[in-house]
Amino acid sequence: MDASEVEFLAEKEMVKIIPNFSLDKVFLIGGDLGPFNPGLPIDVPVWLALNLKQRQKCRIIPPEWMDVEKLEEMRDLERKEDMFTPVPSPYYMELTKLLLNHASDNIPKADEIRTLVKDIWDTRIAKLRLSADSFISQQEAYAKLDNLTLMEINTIRAFLLDTLNCMYKLRSNLQ
Amino acid sequence: MFIADIRKDFYEVVANQRVVLLVAPDIDALCACKILQALFHCDQIQYTLVPVTGWQELGTAFLEHKEQFRYFVLINCGANVDLLEMLQPDDDSIFFICDTHRPVDVVNVYNDTQIKLLIKQDDDLSVPSYDDIFRDEDEEGEDSGNESDEGSEPSGKRRRFDEGAVERRIERQRAKREWEARRREILFDYEQYEYHGTSAAMMFFELAWVLTKDTKDMLWWAIIGLTDQWVHDKITNMKYVTDIATMQRHVSRHNHRNEDEENSLSIDCMRISFEYDLRLTLYQHWSLYESIYNSCYTSCSFKLWTLNGQKKLQEFLADMGLPLKQVRQKFNSMDMSIKENLRDVIEESSNKYGMKDIRIQTFGVHFGFKNRFLASDMVHATAALLESAEKDDSETDNFIKALDALSRCAKETKFTLQRLNLLTFPLKMSSFFFLLFSLCRSNIDRLHSGIALAKKKLIAIQQTVASCICTNLILSQGPFLYCYLMEGTPDVKLFSKPMALTLLCKYLLKAFVHSTRNKRCKLLPLVMAAPKDVEKGTVIVVGIPPESETSDKKNFFGRAFEKAAESTSSRTLHDHFDTSIIELKTEDRSKFLDALITLLS
Repeated sequence: MDASEVEFLAEKEMVKIIPNFSLDKVFLIGGDLGPFNPGLPIDVPVWLALNLKQRQKCRIIPPEWMDVEKLEEMRDLERKEDMFTPVPSPYYMELTKLLLNHASDNIPKADEIRTLVKDIWDTRIAKLRLSADSFISQQEAYAKLDNLTLMEINTIRAFLLDTLNCMYKLRSNLQ
Repeated sequence: MFIADIRKDFYEVVANQRVVLLVAPDIDALCACKILQALFHCDQIQYTLVPVTGWQELGTAFLEHKEQFRYFVLINCGANVDLLEMLQPDDDSIFFICDTHRPVDVVNVYNDTQIKLLIKQDDDLSVPSYDDIFRDEDEEGEDSGNESDEGSEPSGKRRRFDEGAVERRIERQRAKREWEARRREILFDYEQYEYHGTSAAMMFFELAWVLTKDTKDMLWWAIIGLTDQWVHDKITNMKYVTDIATMQRHVSRHNHRNEDEENSLSIDCMRISFEYDLRLTLYQHWSLYESIYNSCYTSCSFKLWTLNGQKKLQEFLADMGLPLKQVRQKFNSMDMSIKENLRDVIEESSNKYGMKDIRIQTFGVHFGFKNRFLASDMVHATAALLESAEKDDSETDNFIKALDALSRCAKETKFTLQRLNLLTFPLKMSSFFFLLFSLCRSNIDRLHSGIALAKKKLIAIQQTVASCICTNLILSQGPFLYCYLMEGTPDVKLFSKPMALTLLCKYLLKAFVHSTRNKRCKLLPLVMAAPKDVEKGTVIVVGIPPESETSDKKNFFGRAFEKAAESTSSRTLHDHFDTSIIELKTEDRSKFLDALITLLS
């Protein structure tokens, strides 16, 4: 799986916007998108929110977890714990990137949020590397990791699987 | 016909149609084009963009597209000529013209069906009234009818009737002759001087504002369009100041909307600020010394082509307390203590040296940590890109490069690729597609390369001006000054392009006015010729109005060139949208000049 595919899946998440146009209910294969009225907030998938934002037809409201204090707490919690802590959203990294690239003027303190999310990501990836390293060196057969997001799994998937394959080959050649 | 409501009569008309954009090669037109493109992207209006460099290309582009398209938008071209006669369109083609060239041709003003002018009606136009120029021809028919009826009447009565009818007929013919003479006079006065009106980019920004789709990017492009008119000396100082005030209102509206004490904007967002900044070209991207040396205003005030002038410059720097080592470094590396009060210090000292207007009202933009640009920097960079004289680049490539330099980030251009807009070009410019995909360099890099080209251009202009003045290449021909750039002059290829040549002309005239002692020569206009194409043996000739503090920038050379060419049957090409720029065969140069002298004296 490619990182861009994960981002594509992340675009299905819902986000709140305030449109400045009006449109009746839209019936799409994936579901209905409710009537749009100017000035009234409505939930739409991220792909539509970004498209409308680029056409200057809406204002994006940042999700609740995208707040400096909440993210600071999460980052401190992540650093304290050895295990992975629950994430604000299963696609937090992709959503941060998408929203901050296209709608940073609607998100207050965007620079700090970017730094905080990057800190959380770095901590988690470091933990993941440690855990993979100990899994291989202790030749465990089974590991359970909670609260991992798809993007993090995807980062390590190729490397881990290749490593395990190599080790299997080495071990089977020895015998 | 003038459009009253730009949203209803223009935007909503083209909203569901496919449009052709014909764009002239100047920065104001480029900015207007970018604003319009952004609006079209928002509403997914399909368009075709065709850059046109002259009337011939306009004609060919029109012929190519007239089968498929009904709506044509002309930016900075087409208002000052009878468009319907030139293009001979079908009855259902509609032209929207947003042009700064004045005077607007009277046929374009009074045509109700096919020509819509996106120009404000009170924009300094003084169009002659309808009755003065056009006359209904119904009255003629009555006379001839009466005459044939009265032919068979009895003699006595008939003679009296005849006399009455003959008198009336003579009276009417006399009135008609008078009316025609007056009409010729009015038209002559109206079309004699060529000048420029409000920037096209500002017009389209207003359209965006009316649609409430205006963004900071569009505002910045409108500002660049306005500054282009000032840099290339197309509008008067008064008009520039008035337009700056209008833009200032928009800038404060945008800044007010977004900035808040607690929720400050991300550093990557664009911030436009009003600056009362120095008139030194590109000084923030160059060293201060080079900028002072190569800017027209300071170079002419100090007379930097003389030894005396250079000594004065050293004095000036010493007077401000700026060490030479600091001043010759890149501006960004200068000491902070010097940079802090630089503007005030320079203003004080320049007042002592007779330069009262060293500061000018302008705007600057600021995004990211590194990128700070003034509007005039952008104009010079984009102009250098547009007219770059590299051998490999066709004109459309340069057009695209210049357009890109105006965008802030490469993301925007990728976004445009994903949209369903058609962006086609005439077939010979297929390298366009290659260019569009080779956008791995970000647009800021392109802008920086433009700035480097602009620096070279300014240095070349400065050196050419210095050599022309020192070798007395400017000759007074009586009613005007004349200068011819020989073929071997360094950087002469740069000056085969109209905008660069006009800039050179302007600087040269200013320098001449400062250096000559002859009072009469100071009030003369300047005609300049430079080789354009050595193989074809053509020169490009430019005429600019005389230099004065309160000049109204009205240029009569357009008509003068036409008449001189006609009277001597010289082989000329009046292809440019600015009628004061023509191409001429080198052999016909002298007889053309003589005709011009006799015409103007």
